[in-house]
Amino acid sequence: MRGNPEKVRGIVLSAFDYGESDRIVSLFTIEHGRVKAFARGARKSRRRFGHALEVFSRIEAELRLKVGLCNLQEAMADKTFIGIRSDLAKICNAMYACEAAECMTPEGHPLPRFYRLLSSYLDHLDSEAATESDRRFFEVNMLNILGYRPRLDGCACCGAKFGASGAVVSARGELVCKGCGEGRSIDAGAISLLSESLAKGRFGVVRFAGEELMQAGVLLDSAIAEHAGKRLKSLEFIRQNRF
Amino acid sequence: MLTNISSLSRLVSEFKKLPGVGERTALRMAFHLLKSPSNLTMLSEALLEVRDRTHSCSVCFALTEDDPCSICSGNRDHKAICVVENPQDMMAMERSNAWHGVYHVLEGSLSPLAGTGPEDIRIDELLKRVSSGNVEEVVIATNFTVEGEATALFLTKLLRQHKVRISRLAHGIPLGSDIEFVDAATVQWALQGRNEI
Ligand SMILES: [Zn+2]
Ligand SMILES: [Zn+2]
Repeated sequence: MRGNPEKVRGIVLSAFDYGESDRIVSLFTIEHGRVKAFARGARKSRRRFGHALEVFSRIEAELRLKVGLCNLQEAMADKTFIGIRSDLAKICNAMYACEAAECMTPEGHPLPRFYRLLSSYLDHLDSEAATESDRRFFEVNMLNILGYRPRLDGCACCGAKFGASGAVVSARGELVCKGCGEGRSIDAGAISLLSESLAKGRFGVVRFAGEELMQAGVLLDSAIAEHAGKRLKSLEFIRQNRF
Repeated sequence: MLTNISSLSRLVSEFKKLPGVGERTALRMAFHLLKSPSNLTMLSEALLEVRDRTHSCSVCFALTEDDPCSICSGNRDHKAICVVENPQDMMAMERSNAWHGVYHVLEGSLSPLAGTGPEDIRIDELLKRVSSGNVEEVVIATNFTVEGEATALFLTKLLRQHKVRISRLAHGIPLGSDIEFVDAATVQWALQGRNEI
């Protein structure tokens, strides 16, 4: 990939100062998926960058594509999510979504459905309270879009359908029948809420609560740990501070 | 060529670790110093002196040579604490000449993405100062970045359990700027924090 600057829309996944006046950002764009970009003068030029280059801002940018590090010529914030920025739990959840995107999506590969998921999660967080239920809804849809959809209709090992007795979560973050493996058990109710999350395209429609929230969490945590390949710092932060 | 002069290449590589210094600038600085041996001596003495003499104040964690620092031991309003992220921010507040209280330097900010939690910065020390009972006001002057906002929200939650007035620096339109060129978020914050006149 190489060429003239083009207009892209994206979400800032992370941004770090570089030297006196520059910034290096990671963006999830509609057009090219995840890209890393160098923003020369980003800390000095208000005219070209404003305050757009901060984590989870949704921006419109002028990007010159290059293999490795792209050049970000200009960026304007489309939404800086002031609702999220005014609440600590929302900040943590928004950062988690960005960190998960950073380490689970491939570089330079357009994934418009994932962009829409991330973007609508941020919109939802901006106006509604942060809940673990919405985070789980984001996670199961993220796994699905990225091709890591956990099999929900039957055992990942032998294919047997799960009955009313539910299943167990394997060490690799899959659902297996009680004959094929050992692990934390997950009831039929939680499994059907997970399927419903994949069928419904909108935040706030599916509600996980109580035992079902906990069980779905066990599956999603181990599936994400399996595919992320590293510990997500923001997730540790959420756990330690109970956000 | 440089690799043949290992002491010079070591100096250049040290310069390159400094913010904003690349290979060319590093070389220029090194050759400039080489022109006069006394320059080299003065620079090396200054570096050692700053290493040996500066440390953070045991009360406010500002950078200082004395302990407590001149602000903590000076004639300031000790009932009012301004909380900043780092010593540079404190220096900026001092340049404004607008603050007559004391400071508390957090030595960082909360950052879920970097894994910096409350125990990694000087929050406990601030709470100890506040619960000593002599503090009436805390002004939170962390940066207006997401990390700075997260830190301010976290501190506010903890400080509400104490009998102190808590305030946050105002967000606003930079002095000398046209509203036309200010980004939408800043305008939105500035409107929310508008003052009656
Ligand atoms: Zn089975
Ligand atoms: Zn001090």
